[in-house]
Amino acid sequence: MASRGANVVLSRANRMKTKLQSALSASVLEIEDVSHQHAGHAGVKGSDGETHFNVKIVSPNFEGQSLVKRHRMVYDALADELQSGLHAISIVAKTPQETGAK
Amino acid sequence: MAKSLSSLLFKGLAGLPATRTNRIVVPGFNYQHGMRYSTTVPNDPDTHDDFKPTNKLENSSLSLRDVVELDVQQNPVMIYMKGVPDAPQCGFSSLAVRVLNLYNVPLSARNILEDAELKNAVKSFSNWPTFPQIFIKGEFIGGSDIILNLHQTGELKEKLNDIAANQKTE
Repeated sequence: MASRGANVVLSRANRMKTKLQSALSASVLEIEDVSHQHAGHAGVKGSDGETHFNVKIVSPNFEGQSLVKRHRMVYDALADELQSGLHAISIVAKTPQETGAK
Repeated sequence: MAKSLSSLLFKGLAGLPATRTNRIVVPGFNYQHGMRYSTTVPNDPDTHDDFKPTNKLENSSLSLRDVVELDVQQNPVMIYMKGVPDAPQCGFSSLAVRVLNLYNVPLSARNILEDAELKNAVKSFSNWPTFPQIFIKGEFIGGSDIILNLHQTGELKEKLNDIAANQKTE
């Protein structure tokens, strides 16, 4: 059960990575599976467990865009995944400048 | 002050009786979240189509999209979430409620887990795929990441200032 879940997670995470990379030409792209934190949570029951991710993206495309806009860009890139059981993503979306400033 | 706020928060999260600032029923119109449509259509062949019962949604001129639109117009702070403010059923919804509760503003909420059609209507209204979704004075704000970010940058305080002020004078 656990290993089957892990395989599914791996494949979804990989697909997400590819899609985000090509859509947003990210310079930093970190995807962390946190589905285990949401196991058994209402609305997730019955799915395979590859549902929740933390995503950190640094992309020049975010320049001049509001937070809502940036999140939409991420959601747009992942539309297929959201259709097929991806439940929630926690998104950190920054421009290269914003990360440099820290 | 901080102490009383956090105890208030804790109360809310523990699912004890609703705090003053949380209301779940949206005033002004009577669409109930989780409302069930009538599914009993009599199979009487003599009944003309015009007289067959239809579901409530068709009967009322209110589409679910209208419901959402009215929600966000009539409620200064509207949240569509998993669970209810006193008992969120998702960590992200819980986080959003905790952040909003810091500001002592009236919070209107609908539980999208109770109504899949409403859930879809909200998604298409905002063109946003996940929950919670927060609207302030009719403006779509975003989900829990964004509300937390606005809280941290101080923008949320500005957005909620006049709502909190209205609360005090009422």
